[in-house]
Formats: sequence, C-alpha cells, structure tokens
Amino acid sequence: MSIPNFIIPDLLLLLFPFIVIGSRLFCDAKSNVPWRIANIGFLLIFMLLNFIPLAGGEGRFFICNWRVDDFGVFMREVLVVSAILGMWFSKDYFMHAAAGKPQMHQIAEFIGAIAFATFGGVTVVSACDTITFFLGLEIATIPMYALTAWNKRDQLGSEAATKYILMGSVATAFELFGFSYLYGFAGSLHFDAIQSAVAAGTSPLLWIAVLFLFCGIGFKLTLFPFYTWAPDVYEGAPTPVTAVLSVTSKATAIAFLVVLVYGPLAPVQEQIAPLIALLAGVTLFVGNLGALKQYRLRRFMAYSSIAQAGYIMVALLGTAAMAKTAIIYYLFVYAVSNYLAFFVFGIIGHHREEIFDSLRGLSKQNPSLAIALAISMFSLAGIPPLAGFFGKFHLFFSGATTGHYMLIAFAVLNNVLALFYYLQLVKSAWVDEPDGHLNPLRLTRRQRGVIILLSCAVVVLGFLPFLSDNIFMGFSGF
Amino acid sequence: MNLMNCLILAFLLFGIGVWGLMRRRHLIGMLISIELMLNAANINFISFAYFTAQDSTAGALFSIFVIAVTACEMAIALAIIVTMYRRHHSLDADQLRDLHD
Repeated sequence: MSIPNFIIPDLLLLLFPFIVIGSRLFCDAKSNVPWRIANIGFLLIFMLLNFIPLAGGEGRFFICNWRVDDFGVFMREVLVVSAILGMWFSKDYFMHAAAGKPQMHQIAEFIGAIAFATFGGVTVVSACDTITFFLGLEIATIPMYALTAWNKRDQLGSEAATKYILMGSVATAFELFGFSYLYGFAGSLHFDAIQSAVAAGTSPLLWIAVLFLFCGIGFKLTLFPFYTWAPDVYEGAPTPVTAVLSVTSKATAIAFLVVLVYGPLAPVQEQIAPLIALLAGVTLFVGNLGALKQYRLRRFMAYSSIAQAGYIMVALLGTAAMAKTAIIYYLFVYAVSNYLAFFVFGIIGHHREEIFDSLRGLSKQNPSLAIALAISMFSLAGIPPLAGFFGKFHLFFSGATTGHYMLIAFAVLNNVLALFYYLQLVKSAWVDEPDGHLNPLRLTRRQRGVIILLSCAVVVLGFLPFLSDNIFMGFSGF
Repeated sequence: MNLMNCLILAFLLFGIGVWGLMRRRHLIGMLISIELMLNAANINFISFAYFTAQDSTAGALFSIFVIAVTACEMAIALAIIVTMYRRHHSLDADQLRDLHD
C-alpha cells in the first residue's frame, strides 16, 4: 500500500520522539547529538507541513479515519511551532540552573515528551471518531503531567504536578462520561453518524453529554469554574514547561472544542451558543481580575492565559469558516507573543527571582530585552499596530457576525482592564528604578536570535494579511 | 436488568467518585475515587453498547481503550505521588500548600 504524501509529516512526528530518545543510547550523556537530531527533525516536519497544499472542504482521508483538512494543517503548524520554540527555550535550563531551582537533566526525553504532546494535538485535529479524539487528547495531556514533574528535586514542581494530574484525571472522567452519553444518544462513535443523529433531533441525553464534555474540556482550557489549577501549575512547573503548557496544551484544548462544536455538534451550535458565551464572558473577566493582583511573573502569565482562553472562546460563536480562521490566526499570534514573553522571563529567571520587581531597571540595563518585553505585552493586550490587535479583532468579528454584541462589548471593556496590568509590567521594566546593584544579564546567541525573530514575527504578523494559502504551496509539486 | 438500571448504577458510581474526591484527603484515596469515575463511564459505554447502539462493537472497544489510557495515567500519577512522598513522608493532600495566591 502506498502512503499518501499528506500523511508523511504526521508519521515523522510519531517516529520522531523514538528516534530522539533512541539516539541517546548510542552517545554519551553530555553529547549534543540528540539535540541536533531534534532540531533537524522538528524543522523538517515544519517545512513538510508547509508543503501540504490546502484541499478545502472536507479535507483528505487516510484509511477513512484520519482526516487532514485545512484547519488541521494550520493547527499542526501552530503545534509544531510551539514545540520548536519550547525546545529552544528549554535548552538553557539543561545547561545551567535557573535561580533557586535545581538544574534539569535528560534533554532527549524532555524533547521526546514535548513531541508526544504535539502528536496528541495532531491526533485531536485529525480525528473522525470519538475514540481517536479521546486518545488524542490523552496523548497530549499525559506527557504534560510528566513534564511538570520533570525536576524531581524541585519541591514546587512535584506539588504542581500532583495538583495537575488530579485535576486532569477528573477532567478526563468528565469527558469520558460525556462521550458515553453522546454514544448512547447517537448509537455510534463516528462523527458523521453523530452529526446526523444530532441533526435528526435532540434529547435530554444530548444536553447532558454536552454539559459533561464542556466541563471536561473546561478543565483543560482553564475555563471559569475549572481554572483554579492553572496558576499553581504554571508557577510550580519548570519555566520551559510553563511556556509549552500555555501554548500547546491550550491550542490542543481549543482545537478539541472547534472540532467538536463544528463537527458532531454543528447542528445544535446555535443552541449551545449561550453556554459558550457565558463561559467566555465569565472566564475572561475572572482571568483579568486575577491577573490584577499578581506580582509573580508566571502566576501573572497564568491568569493572562486564562483571560486569553476567554477571548478565544468568543470566536466559537461565529460561523465555522470565520471562527476557524480567526482562531488559527490568533493561536499563531498568541504562541509567538507568549513565547516572546517567556523568553524574556526565562532570561530574567536565570539570574533573579521571577517576580515583577526583578524587571526594574531593565530598560537601562538591557534595552533590547525591555523592548522585546514591551512588544510582547502590547501584543497580548491588543494594541493596534501589533499582531495581537488583529488577532483579537478577528476573534470579536467572528463572534459579532452572529449578533452577540453584548458579549463583544463586555470583552472589549475587559480588554481595557487587561491593558492596565500589561502596562504595569511594562512600567516595572521601563519606569521603575532598580533598588541596588543588578546582576548582569547574559544572553546566549540562541536566546538573542530567537528574541529578535519573535519580536519581528509579532510586528510583521500584524501587517501581513493572513496567510490564507499554505506558505510554500505556490512552488510545490507535493 | 434494563438500560435505565445500568445508567443509574453508573451515575451513582460517578457521584460516589466525585464525593470521595472531595472528602478524601489521602492522595491514593483520591486516585481511587478518580478510578471509580472513569469506570462509571465504562459501565455507561458497555450498557449502551449492549442495549441500544447500532454500532455495538465500538462502545465495547472504547471501554478497552479507556482501561489502557487509565493505566497510563495512573502509572504517571503514582510516579508523581512517589516523588511527593519522598519529600514530605506523608500522602496528605492538605500539605499541597506551597503554591497559592
């Protein structure tokens, strides 16, 4: 049987962690070979993904159960970009320890775990039935538990991981309960069958299933009543894991919702819109309120990402095509801005504690770092010339097309609230005078390169029209 | 035995799981509660597969997958809990206090 071209990146991504971890068997502990293999592998997969021509409509199928549609291709790109940036970010934590934390070990396995989580996300967007869907979500989550507890000697890490795995398993149970009712309602696990059953008529069983599914995914997406684990886990986990968690895990959860709402539940999307609107509104409000009073950087980022999840949920109120475009674009922007912020925090965290006060005097000591921080914060807050503004605009526009103006107004007002705390961070870096002597900040060449790259990306993504076609497709014979 | 009885049984098990999770302060006890919730979902799948579904193999298959996934999850959970135990020499959930607002 011949293997179709569009499946090659997925297969590579599945093999990739085994190759990276396996390569460690053949070289000594200090060797750089697994790291090089990981770099080449991820970049190759990203290149190949860009060569997949877009198909439109239903997408292409592999053994009738693995769908590669346009949304899926772009989600794969987001996930792989996140994995690459996470890998680059984590490298320094394996070379020398962050302030007050033990050094990390076993980079090959670490990258392997990130790759597994990425593959889980890919499985979620390719699924055509609930078994694959559920497995994908679990493959994406289980490595995250292990990553959170990666630093065995770090007390906060294991505490965060314990909280995370307890909450995550409860979420899994809720989801499974929802899936079981959905199966009972439709009598089949295939998305098409579920969709036609839902279109044929609803019953209380379906609504209970939807409620359970939203509870389950609410945990993973840090939606309102279920977000309480996020600040603890974001603070306790090693910084690179926090960065990966805030992008890959969130992107996977959002992809899950998009596939669910515009796939099997598409006929009742309008009926569940009030639920989505309620969750979105409360989540972004709570996230913003929580972020106001934080002084530790990673806890602050946790609340910020809770609020961002609320903004992304707003887009789910719109029609399928618009919501998908808006969400993909926003996820790209969010990934880039978030990683930029985390790179800056990571460099600070290598020398000082990760709190707001550590940022004081940054503009004098290292202006380029302060500029990068300002760019990422302004982008997350949604200030016009930067990418974050256009991302949020599309999200709100998608929600507005179906007439949820009250929610949009509420979200925009909340954005003003968000601006306050993002600006406070910028203020610490630019206005506040440092107290006493500052340790000098050393940047490696990789860090400097990535920060410049990401800063440019945040600025340029705002000017470029959305890449509506796949990037390299014009000159590919794929 | 009919479908309704099985669903009620599953729902009760799920409820017991949630209740246990809230009440228990022992990490292993909490894991067992979670296990109860997951198995309640399994009972749902199997009873729907047996009584109503057109596609009855799928439901039975799903429950087998769930068992496998749960095993993975519990393996990692136990590994994490062991690292917790090495540090605190107790499995009380109330000691998870270092991270807070």
